[in-house]
Amino acid sequence: MHQISQKGIEQRPQLPFWSGLVIAALVAGAIFLLCLLAVSIMERRWESLRPAMILKPVADYEPNSAEWGLNYPRQYDSYLKTRITDTLTKFGGSSHRDYLQADPLKVILWTGSPFSKEYFQARGHCYSARDVAESNRVSVPFNAATCWTCKSSDVPRMMVKIGPKKFYAGNFHDLKNEMTHPVGCADCHDSQTMKLQITRPALREALAAMGADINTVTHQQMRSLVCAQCHVEYYFKTDEHAGLKNYLVFPWKNGTGAEAILGYYNDSNFTDFINPISKTPMIKVQHADYETYLTGIHAYREVSCADCHMPYRTEGGSKFTDHHVQSPLLNISNSCAVCHRWSENEIRSRVESIQVNTTESLQAAQNAIAAAHFDIAAAIQAGANDDELLQPRLLLRDAQFYFDYISSANGTGFHSPAESMRLAGKAADYAQQARVLTARILARFKVTSQPAYPDVSSREEAAQISRQFTEGHAPKLLP
Amino acid sequence: MSFERNMKLLNLAIMVVTLRGLPKKWQAAVYFLAGLAVGLVIFIARISNAASYLSDAPGACMNCHVMTDAYVSWQRGSHSRIAVCNDCHVPHSNPVAKYAFKASDGLRHSYVFTFRLEPQVLDLSKGAKPVLQDNCVRCHTQIMQTVHLPDSSQRKCWDCHNNIHSSVHGLSSSPAQLRPELPRAGLHSVRKGVQ
Repeated sequence: MHQISQKGIEQRPQLPFWSGLVIAALVAGAIFLLCLLAVSIMERRWESLRPAMILKPVADYEPNSAEWGLNYPRQYDSYLKTRITDTLTKFGGSSHRDYLQADPLKVILWTGSPFSKEYFQARGHCYSARDVAESNRVSVPFNAATCWTCKSSDVPRMMVKIGPKKFYAGNFHDLKNEMTHPVGCADCHDSQTMKLQITRPALREALAAMGADINTVTHQQMRSLVCAQCHVEYYFKTDEHAGLKNYLVFPWKNGTGAEAILGYYNDSNFTDFINPISKTPMIKVQHADYETYLTGIHAYREVSCADCHMPYRTEGGSKFTDHHVQSPLLNISNSCAVCHRWSENEIRSRVESIQVNTTESLQAAQNAIAAAHFDIAAAIQAGANDDELLQPRLLLRDAQFYFDYISSANGTGFHSPAESMRLAGKAADYAQQARVLTARILARFKVTSQPAYPDVSSREEAAQISRQFTEGHAPKLLP
Repeated sequence: MSFERNMKLLNLAIMVVTLRGLPKKWQAAVYFLAGLAVGLVIFIARISNAASYLSDAPGACMNCHVMTDAYVSWQRGSHSRIAVCNDCHVPHSNPVAKYAFKASDGLRHSYVFTFRLEPQVLDLSKGAKPVLQDNCVRCHTQIMQTVHLPDSSQRKCWDCHNNIHSSVHGLSSSPAQLRPELPRAGLHSVRKGVQ
């Protein structure tokens, strides 16, 4: 009996010694993976429950975005991506595209203004301070400190320290040592609460002039207004009686539409430069992006700038605003596709078709405006006086304003397609009206054939013509 | 023959479980590790709210944080008054199909989320589309009796009715600050009195 059971035990197979190692290793591996899973679940939960952790409180008006980045690493990391400069969409992006090289006619339109010498596509926020300091447009004798207003997160600090009047009246080059940080956190955020805030006096003053109260706007409106501190049309007001020198003003007193802004300029006889070709007092429009957007469908549906240019992003359990401000065409899935549920290619082709149409329309207007400048120049050469040329010049000034209003804006018409086409059409109409009036004046001087339009198809040729008119030895345009 | 083979297999199984033949110290070590593994599985089941996945409660979908915005937009849409996530997103032909679909979908989701492969904008997967379409028709049968769309095998209800999850989808459907609270999955039950 005893023997049998002994034998039975011996017959039962037994695990070899090494199998213990294998089993232990397998179980240990499983535990390792389970721990990773547990940590992953807990981290995701933690991220979503605690979106921010203040490691070091931010000082008031702290200009260094890296200091804010200690507490808000995701926002800061995405902000740093505005350093990327090799992105190109069909018409925009963040590379240093040379607009004058691409379109030499612009040299003719802006003869007499620094824009005829240098005009690059702007790079990202991280380059703002460097790019303005290196720009040839801000060189002696032109040295308004006002040009710093939108280029550095040191501006809110300085505005508080010395006040806007003194800030604007200063010398651009004297402020270079103070303006060491590019556009960053302090430009839009309150350092204690992170609430969006307006740090540029010009926007506050412009809204006050329109009768709007900045304190009653909603958070969603603030998500556009912080951008409207800079991405708008503006001018420098100098008024010795009021003690203002190069004071930054948004021309919104009559409203933010193109006609209201032009009316404001015409009422106050404001002129940016005189184009020496037609001797017409001109206005150089700056990127009226916010004003254009206000007339479009996205503004009507209360979609803010940030909704498309800084869409939400997720990283694990956390959701945050992407501070890599860029063309939505470079991030279609996060921006457009949250409302427009089509494929990326479909969305891109819809946007680009709007931009191609706008560009074509602008090109037609630009051709007419350039021809009008030369027509008036021909009339001057024929002997017409300033009184006779007043009407065509006024028309040309308005035509170029409407053209520039859309041309200098960054959406290439997308921010408000119908408004952009309307103004491009208006610009072409005004320019052609100016040409008809000038043709009649030329006819009175017995000039009935077409003026000899100079060849400006390359940038070099355009620059040479521009220089000849500026220096007073214009080519002969009369046949 | 087959009886003997079965006995052999049974013996092998018993051997693996009892670790017969291993030195006592090794047996203890392996059992110790196995115990850790079982404890961890229970722990993970708790913190991941695993039991909630057996239910139809919409909060279960929100366990996974990328679904929060889908939850919020569903809440704002008309369907939140009558239907929950599972009414549309899992098959209802029979319970086996339902739980098989939940299991395979859940495994895929947990794989994608653990390895951080989740896309920024969620879209229906290939397998989800026919399920969803069937579920639209399951409730809206009467309406569909009078409707015959050309190419209706190609078209889905939501090609036109694209506001089921309210009109704004995805991440933009809620600002970060206004997200609903996650289902609890911690030690709150033993922390009575602590707010």
